[in-house]
Amino acid sequence: MAKTYDYLFKLLLIGDSGVGKTCILFRFSEDAFNTTFISTIGIDFKIRTIELDNKKIKLQIWDTAGQERFRTITTAYYRGAMGIMLVYDITQEKSFENIKNWIRNIEENAAADVEKMLLGNKCELNDKRQVSKERGEQLAIEYGIKFMETSAKASINVEEAFLTLASDIKAKTEKRMEANNPPKGGHQLKLTEIRTKDSWLSRCSLL
Amino acid sequence: MSDDLPDQFDLVVIGTGFTESCIAAAASRIGKTVLHIDLNEYYGDVWSSFNLDALNTLLQQSNTMVRNGRFTWHDSCEESASWTREKLLEKSRRFSLDLCPRVAYSAGELVQLLIKSNICRYAEFRALDHVCMWYNNELVSVPCSRSDVFNTKTLSIVEKRLLMKFLTACNDYGEDKCNEDSLAFRGRTFLEYLQAQRVTDKIATCVMQSIAMCTPNTSFEEGMQRTQRFLDSLGRYGNTPFLFPMYGCGELPQCFCRLCAVYGGIYCLKRSVDRITVEDSTNELLLSSAGKTLRAKQVVCAPGQVPLDQLQSEVRAHISRGLLIASSPLGGEDLNKGGGGVNLLRLLTPDGQHEAFLIQLSHYSGTCPEGLYIFHLTTSASSDDPAADLAPFVELLFGAQTPQQLIYSAYFTIAAPVTTNAALPRIYCTAPPSYELDYDAAIANAREIFGKLYVDAEFLPRAPDPEEIVVDGEDPSALNEHSLPDDLRAQLHDLQQAAQDMDIAE
Repeated sequence: MAKTYDYLFKLLLIGDSGVGKTCILFRFSEDAFNTTFISTIGIDFKIRTIELDNKKIKLQIWDTAGQERFRTITTAYYRGAMGIMLVYDITQEKSFENIKNWIRNIEENAAADVEKMLLGNKCELNDKRQVSKERGEQLAIEYGIKFMETSAKASINVEEAFLTLASDIKAKTEKRMEANNPPKGGHQLKLTEIRTKDSWLSRCSLL
Repeated sequence: MSDDLPDQFDLVVIGTGFTESCIAAAASRIGKTVLHIDLNEYYGDVWSSFNLDALNTLLQQSNTMVRNGRFTWHDSCEESASWTREKLLEKSRRFSLDLCPRVAYSAGELVQLLIKSNICRYAEFRALDHVCMWYNNELVSVPCSRSDVFNTKTLSIVEKRLLMKFLTACNDYGEDKCNEDSLAFRGRTFLEYLQAQRVTDKIATCVMQSIAMCTPNTSFEEGMQRTQRFLDSLGRYGNTPFLFPMYGCGELPQCFCRLCAVYGGIYCLKRSVDRITVEDSTNELLLSSAGKTLRAKQVVCAPGQVPLDQLQSEVRAHISRGLLIASSPLGGEDLNKGGGGVNLLRLLTPDGQHEAFLIQLSHYSGTCPEGLYIFHLTTSASSDDPAADLAPFVELLFGAQTPQQLIYSAYFTIAAPVTTNAALPRIYCTAPPSYELDYDAAIANAREIFGKLYVDAEFLPRAPDPEEIVVDGEDPSALNEHSLPDDLRAQLHDLQQAAQDMDIAE
């Protein structure tokens, strides 16, 4: 079968409960918005393939499965992640303050060169705003990462944010490939990989 | 933070080790409300992996289940040594050091369960590079593939033929075409059968030590079963029949926890339970935890997670573990191609009474920095001195190594309760990790408890892929393939498939 993409990037969404991570995920992957997710249930990851500079990029975007609720994200969640969207809610000061803790968590668990981006979500709720855009920008500068205000509900900047993150990862990946140093991975178990029993035995009996 | 924790659950699982995580995932998967807690601030309990700093801290603490811990730095006097204590600690976070390292048979219980339940999407594995045997004071690779058999210089042509003939006979055993002669060995030992095949000493060692993994007392039937298990797992993923989880075995419980969370399970670490009582009026279990009372219809608890007097008697040494870090691998270049192999070696003391297994890990397993090697030694505890329990094996393997190559060594004991008191109804205690290579016993334990919790419910049925999930109330205008009826969706898939296949020319 022809490969349907040039790159596969694993992206994560991180941030406090209720900042709209799942809504962002749905806006980007399905172009839909739903206010009925009380917390993340049954959402594992979503896939969307985008095109950048004639390269097909398959984005696999993982949600926290609600494990952020009591700060119990598994270390396994961070494995192999190439990009992380740090999300806070502009109407919740606390979620903005917690970004620092999430960054610490990322530094402890994710790869050192993981590409990060800061998103201030729910920017359509300007009248309830507690965190100014400037403070968001300032924090992003502090960590040397990119920043955008988004609205999953009003569909503002969600697409742009993912495209920006993907294109930064792509640039990094291509640079690394030029340096001829592709990262080494392991096997993912798939049913299709399983071959029939005693395949080598029968052939070896020819010895 | 704990204020918004609900207080009523179908099942509270205490401990996030492998077995408990399997049960939590299975319960959540069939729609039960699950709270999964652990008194530690990390996932995995005694099945966890640690970075170097964290492991050292753990070994210095007094912990109910991980005991007799101590670690030693073998500082080199040579200033030119490329790896020093400082450099290792600097890269502490690059280590993922397992308390309970295991390997999985490619066709074994764990792999089957991961595939069947679709939990495999959370894990990544590395096929082991070599299965080794210790022969004539040398580490020798056991041929596991066709090219191995062709290329190996450790076996003569005659030996190759003998080995193949023997393995073919084992493979056919139990089937119609099986050799009648072998049936005469029922009730005798596997070693007797092996000797009757007039194989050479080297092949006998190879089969007993590494393929069938037997002791002289192993019965013929069991030996046959074990050999078949080895053969069944060949040729699936890599050169050997074994897989090792990337980033260490501590990832595996987390994969099950993830599934539990995806189905609504709630996670709370660093949360202990002080006391469990039964409320007579409702028949519910009341768990007092951090000043709050949680209600559960049923409880599953790992050893050492609740105060001992409540569920279990005293604990005793169960598994003795050694963990060594060196700057050179065991065995020659052929066993460690391209900077190092992930290798397995099973060892027996000369009297055949004690056995241990060694897992050598290189940076390819994602558990240590490049240029370093981890040696995990595991044996059944015969005392409260893990170093003494493992000394014969360490001597054998590392006795000849130049001392500056060994940088760090740690020993500890994994404890287990002597007995488990089922003092209260509807509380189920999981077994501690047993001495085994794979996860068969742990999975069997999880299945058994799940069967008691939810009679007749399926244990971890396949979780759908994200693309298959239709979320209620999705914007109806965003009509997509998921909203199509099954037959139309199948047609659409076929069309897409056909379109993809035509792309090949591109």
